[in-house]
Amino acid sequence: MSDLDRAIAQLRACRPIPENEVRELCHKARELLIEEGNVVTVNAPVTICGDIHGQFHDLMELFRVGGDVPDTNYLFMGDFVDRGFYSLESFLLLLCLKVRYPDRMTLIRGNHESRQITTVYGFYDECLRKYGSANVWRYCCDVFDYLALGAIVLGASNTLSQPAGSVPVGEDVEIEVCNADQQIISRFLRKGPNGAMGQQQQQPTTNGFSESGSSGPPAPTNTGPPGSGASGASGGSIGNPAGAVLCVHGGLSPLIDNVDKIRLLDRKQEVPHEGAMCDLLWSDPDEIDGWGLSPRGAGFLFGADIVKVFNHRNDLSLIARAHQLVMEGFKEMFDASIVTVWSAPNYCYRCGNVAALLELSEDDSGLGVLARSNGDVNRSDGGMGGQGPRGVLMENDLLGYNRAGPARRYRVFQAAPQDSRGMPAKKPVADYFL
Amino acid sequence: MSAPSIPNLLSLRGHGSLGRGRGGSHRGPSSGPSVSHDTIIQGTDTDAAVSRLSAVELGYLSDPFASYFVTPSPPSFHSGPSSIPSTPRRLPIINRGTYTRTTAIDILIDCFLSSTASSGQPRQIVSLGAGTDTRSFRLFTSPEKHQNIQYHEIDFPVIISKKSTLIRTITALSGILSTPSPVPNPTTTQSYISQHKEPDTGNSLTLHPLDLRMFPSSPTSLPGISSEHPTLLLSECCLCYLPPSCASSLITSFTTNFPSLGLVIYEPILPGDAFGRMMVSNLSARGVTMPTLSVYQTQQDQERRLKEAGFAEGEVRSRTFDGIWDGWVTTREKERVDGLERLDEVEEWKLLAGHYVVVWGWKGGMDLEVGQQLRQGDDDGDETE
Repeated sequence: MSDLDRAIAQLRACRPIPENEVRELCHKARELLIEEGNVVTVNAPVTICGDIHGQFHDLMELFRVGGDVPDTNYLFMGDFVDRGFYSLESFLLLLCLKVRYPDRMTLIRGNHESRQITTVYGFYDECLRKYGSANVWRYCCDVFDYLALGAIVLGASNTLSQPAGSVPVGEDVEIEVCNADQQIISRFLRKGPNGAMGQQQQQPTTNGFSESGSSGPPAPTNTGPPGSGASGASGGSIGNPAGAVLCVHGGLSPLIDNVDKIRLLDRKQEVPHEGAMCDLLWSDPDEIDGWGLSPRGAGFLFGADIVKVFNHRNDLSLIARAHQLVMEGFKEMFDASIVTVWSAPNYCYRCGNVAALLELSEDDSGLGVLARSNGDVNRSDGGMGGQGPRGVLMENDLLGYNRAGPARRYRVFQAAPQDSRGMPAKKPVADYFL
Repeated sequence: MSAPSIPNLLSLRGHGSLGRGRGGSHRGPSSGPSVSHDTIIQGTDTDAAVSRLSAVELGYLSDPFASYFVTPSPPSFHSGPSSIPSTPRRLPIINRGTYTRTTAIDILIDCFLSSTASSGQPRQIVSLGAGTDTRSFRLFTSPEKHQNIQYHEIDFPVIISKKSTLIRTITALSGILSTPSPVPNPTTTQSYISQHKEPDTGNSLTLHPLDLRMFPSSPTSLPGISSEHPTLLLSECCLCYLPPSCASSLITSFTTNFPSLGLVIYEPILPGDAFGRMMVSNLSARGVTMPTLSVYQTQQDQERRLKEAGFAEGEVRSRTFDGIWDGWVTTREKERVDGLERLDEVEEWKLLAGHYVVVWGWKGGMDLEVGQQLRQGDDDGDETE
């Protein structure tokens, strides 16, 4: 244990640990991860993070903003490695923390946790450069194969917890956006029973659905927090209020219509070029109807209709995913039925974006969460939604719109200042076309 | 800037120990802690050369000359025993951008050459800050058998002298062009002209060692440049390094004296948004500043720039890299290029590619409207050759 703590201390200082220690760490991590299902169950409170991409100093900033492990319960949605200069230190630190505090740290797999992708996007080269051989890269890739494909967050509250010393949070606050210094940038209230809602403009709640499924998704409206550019945030969520939150790196797959099907996959392999496992790690939501081809050459694009039916069928109130750069750090789409969380500020030291993490509070009142679903279709929806024709929702379901999903607190943060932490910070060089 | 970019950057920060092993480096003699802005700008050419070689080696572009202009970099100082091969390799997003940039300029030059071919008279291409560009070699050896191309490259003396040496000493280059022979140049020391060795093509390459800030008020005072011939003035990320007034008067010196003129400028835009601010700040950390960027901030500004320089409303066009990739690269070619490396940087590509524009204008007996060229490219399916 003390060896592990020493490794953590060393990695926190952004210094790689010796190869033999990496081997041992990866071995322990695999033993731990092999026991996890494809879809890990996580209880709120939890802090959900998106792509890290080897931006070690920004990961340290994330821990400063979100709280340290094990005080904060973290869920990282993959893409720990590639692109940044410190993939090795970032991934090994997260892995150490996972081994040290297995119940406070959930790591799921991103599309960059792959042998093929890491040879193109930098992690392989970095390991070679730092160790002189590809051994450490191989150990890490073996761990990648054991990472879970998704997580289900249970017990998230409909109301936000109140951090000490902060402005009291009313029960009707659905979304709160804070900056890195714990200051509240904006709050968004839930819609009341009569459709009145807090602070921002109203957004139609029941469009995009019809018996025929022919009407398109609502036009994207910029209703997010001022200055954030996030969309759809204040429209209130329409998902099942009692539902769970599914976390996955990329998104949905046409081969997966319920969460149980994820559980049945054989995940312990390199990320395949196609199929359900590939889609979960590669797909993106988009303003389309149904499914579309992805410009990434892997996975699919999926529209609002797909998300809403999937959430309804699986009793989910929200899908949290990462995978796509969002300049504002987070972006809710499709009436807040899905959110993209992006945690690599100034991505690739070039993009100028801010990052975000998503906090879901624990329901400690016993009232906010009406039922606890782990996403098993047959348990949570009485076997109705699972068999219902896709694209058709009952009128009654729409009534549920007012009872929105979990309350969400986004913490937005910027890139860590260079050389600010007394750690070796190689000044990054971003490529341009000169 | 030079590659690998990190050692170069550290050299800027004064880590002298990293300088070892760089003997005979391609970066020019004055690299070191006290690099001047000129040296840094010259280094941007090395940056482009390395990007070009990366795109060539991965199969994006076909350019047999790319490798002669990149000196293999020494292993980085913290490499282990089995270090990474020193072959430069850029990320897919940069390779796609290099591909797009090269393809765009190739297409516009093809337009220029095909719309001026019937005249039978010499056509001039004047490339500003050409550096190690291989385009003249590619044109002279192209299966199109181009004729009567008088290719002029203007760059800092240190760059020109290096290029001239390479043409003399590299067999693959000296097999195409005659040994550069000096021609008196009243403006600067002297220029060098090389003739295409293939008989009767009328193709030649003239290298002018000249700091563009000293550009003469009449371009025809440079040896071999005539205002009588159809001329294409080309600035691939070059004019942006000049003071805005220098850049304008250089352009005006052509537009006022050359009746048959095409102008192609490729530059970054949008310095004011989040990505653009970071770009300006990252480049300035490397010592690279682009004074014209704040003057021509948008695609519209760039078009206005050409109209103000004397190109007619209907004869000015512009496209961002993003638009060039979407509109000028055929579906078949896109599939081929996408198949080389899996590009998982879709959002970043749109950001990055949206911050570069190619703007071009033409007048007097040439046509740089691109549509027709593209249909041809579609038929050949091979427009980059």
